Amino acid sequence: MEAWIKAIFFPGFLFLLVVFLTIFYMERKILADVHLRTGPYYVGKWGILQTTADVFKLLQKEFIIQRRANKLLFSLIPFVAFLMVAALIAFIPFSEHSYIVSTSFDLLIVLALVTGMPPVFFYAGWASKSKYSFIGGLRVVNQMISGEIPLWLSALAAAVFYGTLNHLQIVHESSWLGFFILLPAFLIFVTATLIVTDRPPFDIPEAEQEIVYGFLTEFGGFNYAILVLSKLIELFALYSVAVVLFLGGFKGPVLPGIVWFFIKILGLYVFTFVVRASTPRIRMDQLLRFCWKVLTPLALLNLAFIILVKMFIS
Amino acid sequence: MGNSISLAGYTFVVEETKEVSGEDLGLLQEKLLQLNWGVQHPASGPMRLKVWVDGDEVVKVDPDIGYVLRLLEKLVEYRTWQNAIVNVERACFIDNFGTMTGYSIAAEKIAGVEVPKKADYVRTILCEGGRIVSHLIGLGGFIGVLGVHTPMQWALIAREKFLDAFEVYSGQRIATASIVPGGVRYEPTGKFIEKMISAVDFLEKEFIPRYTEVFIDNPTLKLRSQGIGVVPKEKAVELGLAGPALRASGVASDVRKDYPYTAYGELDFRVVTKEEGDAYARYLVIWEELIESAKIIRQAIEGLPEGEWRTKFPIKVPPGEAYVNVEWARGCFGFHLISDGGTGPYRLKMRAPSFANLWAMPEMMKNVKLADVPVIFASLYMCHGDIDR
Repeated sequence: MEAWIKAIFFPGFLFLLVVFLTIFYMERKILADVHLRTGPYYVGKWGILQTTADVFKLLQKEFIIQRRANKLLFSLIPFVAFLMVAALIAFIPFSEHSYIVSTSFDLLIVLALVTGMPPVFFYAGWASKSKYSFIGGLRVVNQMISGEIPLWLSALAAAVFYGTLNHLQIVHESSWLGFFILLPAFLIFVTATLIVTDRPPFDIPEAEQEIVYGFLTEFGGFNYAILVLSKLIELFALYSVAVVLFLGGFKGPVLPGIVWFFIKILGLYVFTFVVRASTPRIRMDQLLRFCWKVLTPLALLNLAFIILVKMFIS
Repeated sequence: MGNSISLAGYTFVVEETKEVSGEDLGLLQEKLLQLNWGVQHPASGPMRLKVWVDGDEVVKVDPDIGYVLRLLEKLVEYRTWQNAIVNVERACFIDNFGTMTGYSIAAEKIAGVEVPKKADYVRTILCEGGRIVSHLIGLGGFIGVLGVHTPMQWALIAREKFLDAFEVYSGQRIATASIVPGGVRYEPTGKFIEKMISAVDFLEKEFIPRYTEVFIDNPTLKLRSQGIGVVPKEKAVELGLAGPALRASGVASDVRKDYPYTAYGELDFRVVTKEEGDAYARYLVIWEELIESAKIIRQAIEGLPEGEWRTKFPIKVPPGEAYVNVEWARGCFGFHLISDGGTGPYRLKMRAPSFANLWAMPEMMKNVKLADVPVIFASLYMCHGDIDR
C-alpha cells in the first residue's frame, strides 16, 4: 500500500477518528458498568452511535471566541495540538506492515513530540483570557514537565535494553525475558503516561470542581472536540508506544498481529478506566512530590539496572 | 454587579462593573486573583464563594448566599397548623422528616397534645430513613468533588430503595408531607414496613460491603482528606459547628441521645465520634452514622406498637411558645414556634445547622490550597436549601 493511502485511511486520520469514537464509547460503557448503570443505550445497537451523535452535536455548535481572547492563537491552538498528536501515530507499527513511516529514531521523535505538548496547552489557557483557563494552563505545564522526565527515562530504558530506537526492530527483538526485565520500566511508563496526559487520578489541570475545566473552559463546539480528540489520541499513542516497547507489540499466537496489538491496548485502557472509577484526584503539591521524589529516582535506578543487565547480557 | 440588561431598550451590558471596597479592594490591589467558586460551578451548588488566591494558596474565602431563598419562615405564618408542614419540610428536601418532626413536636408542646406511641415509632423510622437517604448523598458528594462519581451512583441505587418505601407510605418520593402535629398522616401498612426492611437489607447486605471494599480506607482518599480543614475540639464548640462536623471533632453532641424525642429514648444506638476533626473524620462519621441508622430502623420496626397513629390536633392552639431541637441529618435543627391563639403559627424561627457550618468555613479555609476548597466544602455536609431557607 502507498504511504499516503495509509496516512488517510489506516493507520491515519480516518482510523484516528474511529479510535476516538470507540474509546469514548468504551470509556462510557465501562464506567457505567462500574457505576452499576447501563450507559449509552438508545442510539444504534447497544448505543454504539451515541458518541458519534455527540461529536456531530459539537460540530454544529456556534463558534464562540471570548472578546478579550487572543483570536489567532485561540483558533489555532486546537489544530496545532491535533497535528502534533497525529504525527505521533505515524511512527507506531500496528502490525508487520501497517505503519506510515519507520525511521531509526522512532522513539526519540515520539517522545520529543510529547514533550512539545505542554506549551500548546499552556497557550490554550493563556489565549483564553480566563482565570480558570490560566490556572489550568499553569497547572498543565507544572504537571507535564514533572511527568515527562520519568516518561523519558523509562522509555529510554527499553531503548537501551534493545539497543535501538526503531519501533519495528524493538518488537522483533522482544521476548518474555525482556518483558520481565523491563516490568519496572513498564509500570513507571504507564504511571508517567497517566500524568502526562492528565488522566484521573492525575487530572489536576482540568479538575472541574476547582477550576471548572482548566484550559479547556473557554473552548466550545468544534474547537473543543478537536482538543479533546488530541488529548485522547495522545493517550492512545503513548499506550501504543508502551505496547511496542514493553508488551511485544503485535506479537502473539494464532490471531493476526493487529488483533493482538489492540487486545493489549484494550487491557491498558480497561486499567485506566477502572482507576478513573475508583481513585480520587490528588493535589498538585502531592503530585509534584510523587514525581520528583518517587517516580524520577525510581526511573533513574531502573535505567541503571537496565544498563547493568545489558552489560551482562551482551 | 456583573452583566445586566438595562431596562430601556434591552441593551446587553457586557463590561463588568465591580463594586469593591474596604478589605476586598486591598486584596485586589495586592494582585491576588479573585475566583468565583460558584453559582454555576460543578461542585458548589446554588451559592457563591469568592475565593482570593495567591498562586495556589487560598488567602480569603467569602461566602455569598441567598440564591435559593424562599422565605419559608414567613410563609409558615400564612398556613394553618397542619398545612405548615409543607413549608417546613422544604428547608431541605433530602431529609424532610427531621424538620417536620421538630415542627410537629413544637406545635404539640404548645397545644398540649399527647402523641400515640405508634406515631412516635413511625416518626423514628421515617426520620432514620431520611437520615440514611441524606447521608448516602453526603458520601457520594464528598468523593464526587474529588472527581470520582462511582460512590454517588452506588449511593443513588441504595437511596432509590428507601424512596420506594416512602412512596408506598405517603405517595411521594421526596417531599412526603407525612408527619403532622398530632401524629403521622398515614397508617404504616404492612407493605410499607416490608419495603423499609427490604431497603435496609439492601443497604446492609449489598451497599455497605461493596462500598467498604473500595471507598473506606482508600489510600488516595486518605491522602487527600486527612489533615485537611482540621478543627480542634474547643474550636469546634467556639465556631458553633453542628452535626457530623461537630462530632468529628470529638464532641459527643447528639440531640437523639442528650434530649431524647419520639422513640429514641427506648432504642439502643451509639453516638459516633472521631477525635481527628479533619475532613476524613467527618466523612467517616457520616459513614458510621449511616450504619447506626440502619440498626435503629430495625429496632424500631421490631418494637412497633399497636394502636392509633394520629390523634386529633385542635384547629385553634392556645397562645404560647416552644423551642424544640431535633437531630436532623445535618445537625441540630432548632424550632422556635410562637402561637397567638390563632389557626396557624404566629412566628416560626428555624435554627439551621448548615448555616452554622457555613460561617465556620472561611475560618477553616485560611491558608489551604485551592484544591482543598471543594474538599472542605463537601466535608462540612451542608444543604443549600437549609442555609437560605
